[in-house]
Amino acid sequence: MSDEREPLIRVEHVSFGYTMNDKRTLPVLRDISFEVRRGEYLAIIGHNGSGKSTLAKHLNGLLVPQQGNVWVAGMNTKDKGLRKEIRKCVGMVFQHPDNQIVATIVEDDVAFGLENIGVPADEMRQRVDEALQMVGMFAFRHRPPHHLSGGQKQRIAISGILAMRPACIVLDEATSMLDSYGRQDILRVMRALHQQGMTIVTVTHHMSEVVEADRVIVMEAGRIVMEGTPRDVFQQQERLHELQLDIPDASRISQAVHRVVPAFSGTLIRTDEVVEEVENMHLRTLEVHGG
Amino acid sequence: MASSFELTRNITVGQYLPTGSIIHRLDPRCKLAAFVILILGIAFCGTYGSNVLALILCTALFPLARIPIRYGLSGVKPAIPFILILAILQLLFYGKGFGTGGQTYFHYGFVTITSDSLRLVVVSAMRFVEVIFLSSVLTLSTSTTELTHGMEHLLMPLRKVGFPVHAFALIITIAVRFVPTFALEMEKMMKAQASRGAEFGTGSWWRIVQRTKDMFPIIIPLFNVALKRAEDLILAMEARCYTPTDERTTYKRYHASAKDVFAVVTSLVIVAVLFAIPV
Repeated sequence: MSDEREPLIRVEHVSFGYTMNDKRTLPVLRDISFEVRRGEYLAIIGHNGSGKSTLAKHLNGLLVPQQGNVWVAGMNTKDKGLRKEIRKCVGMVFQHPDNQIVATIVEDDVAFGLENIGVPADEMRQRVDEALQMVGMFAFRHRPPHHLSGGQKQRIAISGILAMRPACIVLDEATSMLDSYGRQDILRVMRALHQQGMTIVTVTHHMSEVVEADRVIVMEAGRIVMEGTPRDVFQQQERLHELQLDIPDASRISQAVHRVVPAFSGTLIRTDEVVEEVENMHLRTLEVHGG
Repeated sequence: MASSFELTRNITVGQYLPTGSIIHRLDPRCKLAAFVILILGIAFCGTYGSNVLALILCTALFPLARIPIRYGLSGVKPAIPFILILAILQLLFYGKGFGTGGQTYFHYGFVTITSDSLRLVVVSAMRFVEVIFLSSVLTLSTSTTELTHGMEHLLMPLRKVGFPVHAFALIITIAVRFVPTFALEMEKMMKAQASRGAEFGTGSWWRIVQRTKDMFPIIIPLFNVALKRAEDLILAMEARCYTPTDERTTYKRYHASAKDVFAVVTSLVIVAVLFAIPV
């Protein structure tokens, strides 16, 4: 059904609004179009109320566009009969770690999705074990989830999705309730999955997570206002400031130093890049003085 | 005072004591079936002899399951007022209606105490203790997950008449799953209210109305939180392809072995013996 070069998810001129009590509609998404390519790591950012979570819920048919279409691997999300196939293809991890765990035992919860799509019991056991190993929670498989930390619960939620073997995982602010250890945990898991070829869409307002992505979409008032690689997007400091989005410390420092020392690159976005650049500068000075 | 906020510690539902005894290792379906058989047996046998035997057997379950007997006794303790009130009412009123047979020991006005009514009183008190012991052993030796799985399997025949067994089991699983979550949530709210001067559990116990009113500032936000969580949970379940009407497969599979069948047969034999005891 799907061509390998065809984008995995195609969002075409999507508009969506919530109906208020007094029958007025509150527009949330206005004419949005973009694509999610196979195997890419896409970040969607925007501050609260920009419509990014609503957009995320369109990617697996939890919400259906009022105007426009969303195509997942060639399937239209408006087709009710294809909904199960679409959700098998695009898994979603939500914000609150507690509110997405269904069962009283970790491995039962991971199996929940598989039970729903009718996987035979023998295959299920193998898939559950595999999925738990991928997120490093295999040792916890017989534990009740309420004794786990937030990060561990989110890893369980991710493995519940992984067991269904989706082509894409959407993280809808999945790290926003976690402490920094939990967040690092999840980012590590996502990085490993991406290296194995998983398509990842992460919806977030943490800039440090955006750095990991191949491509960034910035949203504001239901529209896409910026799009590009994290490096390109972070260069536009003033624009981001207008949108009330802060840029990562590494990028800010790199640009601040660049203004004073033009030889220092102003396009760095990660801490290790800054360290490397300083090292290089240091070596160059040594060469100059030594030579 | 501090401990009154720690609700999670006071939850006894599903207080599972993993000692790995033979009772623990029984197939949950068979264990549940044996439990139901024994409860029914106890409910219907009404002689002194059979209840003494049943009480001995129920007590013997504790060492067999390697569970300290005090767990069973702590279950009986809160039931004592009920047992006493029940006993007094039965003693006063049963002589007239039900236990009219046998010897009359005492008669004054509407109060008649006969040997039959006295037996009823003693037997029902014993039954109470037996049932508490039995269910204590069951819940202490079986995790809630095993219990729901066991129940789901035992109810399977009802699917033939259109009873939604999977959905029913899922409801119970989710309910059990969220007990500690809501307990924590409630703890948080009680602390938040108490830090602003609200008082909980300090009123005298007989001022039930006042104590109930004290709980309103907790109950209403708790409902609010519960609804929000339910909404999230529905989305998460839908995202994982849950459709209540669809055919599902089950992850957990149990294989009943000889010892499990033996447990069910034993419970049947015990019930037969209980009924056979004449006095």
